Amino acid sequence: MNAAASRVPARSGSLAARLDELLGRAVSMRSLALLRVLTGPAVLVHLQPFLSDALDGRIYSDAFYEPYAAWYPELPDGVYVGLLWLAAVAAVAMSLGFLTRLATATTFLIVAYNLFLSTTHLHNNRAYLVVVLGVLAVAPCGRELSADAWIRRRRGRAPLSLRAPAWPLWLLRFECSTVYGASGLSKLLDPDWFGGTVTWQRVTRARGDLEAWPLPDWAVSALTDRSFHTGAAKLVVLTELFIAVGLWSRRTRYAAVWVAVVFHVTIEASASVQVFSYLAVAVLVVWAVPSTRDRVLRIDPSVGHHRRVATVVRTLDWLARFRVDAASAGSPVEVVDRDGTTIRGAPAVAFALSRLPLTAWFALPALVLPAVRRAR
Amino acid sequence: MTSRARVVGRRLVVLTVVLLQLGLVARGYWSDHKEFAFQMFPESSTWRASVVRVTADGRRVPIELPWSGYRWEELVRDRGLSYPGVRHHADAGLDNQLAFLGAALEWVAANTPRDRETRYLEATVTSWHNADRPTVEVLQSHVREAAG
Repeated sequence: MNAAASRVPARSGSLAARLDELLGRAVSMRSLALLRVLTGPAVLVHLQPFLSDALDGRIYSDAFYEPYAAWYPELPDGVYVGLLWLAAVAAVAMSLGFLTRLATATTFLIVAYNLFLSTTHLHNNRAYLVVVLGVLAVAPCGRELSADAWIRRRRGRAPLSLRAPAWPLWLLRFECSTVYGASGLSKLLDPDWFGGTVTWQRVTRARGDLEAWPLPDWAVSALTDRSFHTGAAKLVVLTELFIAVGLWSRRTRYAAVWVAVVFHVTIEASASVQVFSYLAVAVLVVWAVPSTRDRVLRIDPSVGHHRRVATVVRTLDWLARFRVDAASAGSPVEVVDRDGTTIRGAPAVAFALSRLPLTAWFALPALVLPAVRRAR
Repeated sequence: MTSRARVVGRRLVVLTVVLLQLGLVARGYWSDHKEFAFQMFPESSTWRASVVRVTADGRRVPIELPWSGYRWEELVRDRGLSYPGVRHHADAGLDNQLAFLGAALEWVAANTPRDRETRYLEATVTSWHNADRPTVEVLQSHVREAAG
């Protein structure tokens, strides 16, 4: 065997080893735990029309439906309705973190079963919901932010490790990126979309609705102008592609998350997309670096303003980014970042708020201000 | 499970999901139904259809008229198909919409046992693909053997 030939298996072996290391790396499951809490309400909203019909004595098979496969099992009406209610109960238990693994798996199985009963049931937002539930069902995401963890503490049992192999997290990141990438790519490849025809026609047909909004006349004229859409459509496509790609790099991730939130708010305001906007924004938490308490917020407990900052951070730090420590009297508010960089004063507060899920969108733009940049 | 089996299993699951997802995204470019292809707001296309029941004696009765105790909008409640005579946006694209309309015709033909007169259902569909000129096509259900 020559030298070149002998290198091939070594390289492929090393690639497999790197893949295995990546998939098996123990990381914090905090973001998936938070996503689990947030996904329960999405499941309830998703189930609402099915349950509402069931309360009116109707189920899917009473009207047009189209099974994916003849062999797919269809249950008696009563059992089917019972399963829907069980899914609703399981979704609540999933969010609360009670019997988390069982509740999450039950929610996933019933929601997936229901969707695959008929081609008419499946929409993009529901497909995404199934994907998210599937990942949550296989990830050990019930060891924190859960009733299970509270019960365990109450019984005096040692807490379970909050770290687990990373592969479910990476899979969900892949799926999240795919949603934006697939949508953007399909528009990029369609000349009608990329050229602006599709958005122009949609907006023009909805001109009546647009005029009902509190918009000035010039804005309505601009939005229904054909040439506006020649540029706007490209902006939409590039936005989706930027989110899909930008989420993968730490340098562009915060910008991608910020743009994604704007993108979803815009969609929610202009179209009926069921649980998609809420779910998609919730899933963005999986892009947080999967480690916890690796930043330090130092405050002077004798200063009221400092105590308020600490309270806000403790209350809203759902991803457990910060450890809050007391500093010596007279010290300014101080944040020590992961890499050891220390930021003091107002820039430190802006930085801390930019790392909390609920305030990040508002605080992130402050990080590009020269004063805050200089403080880093 | 041994550690080795766990590692291999993990690798298989991840690669399977990734390949399956990419396959489904690709399938979205040719399939009427685009499950997990995530093609959002794909078209501005619109459509409307004149749907009739063609009876054993050759009459063409619009489905807007109730028949044998059935009403179209109660039989077909989903996917924007309840009132086909009204021009609608094809939410998930024309191919998807017309596939659903075709399936709805089949379902209604197969699930209206009290109807003894309808031979088949027929939809004359006018569709506007984005800004293209309208096209007309005819969809039919299977012929019902119980009719007449």
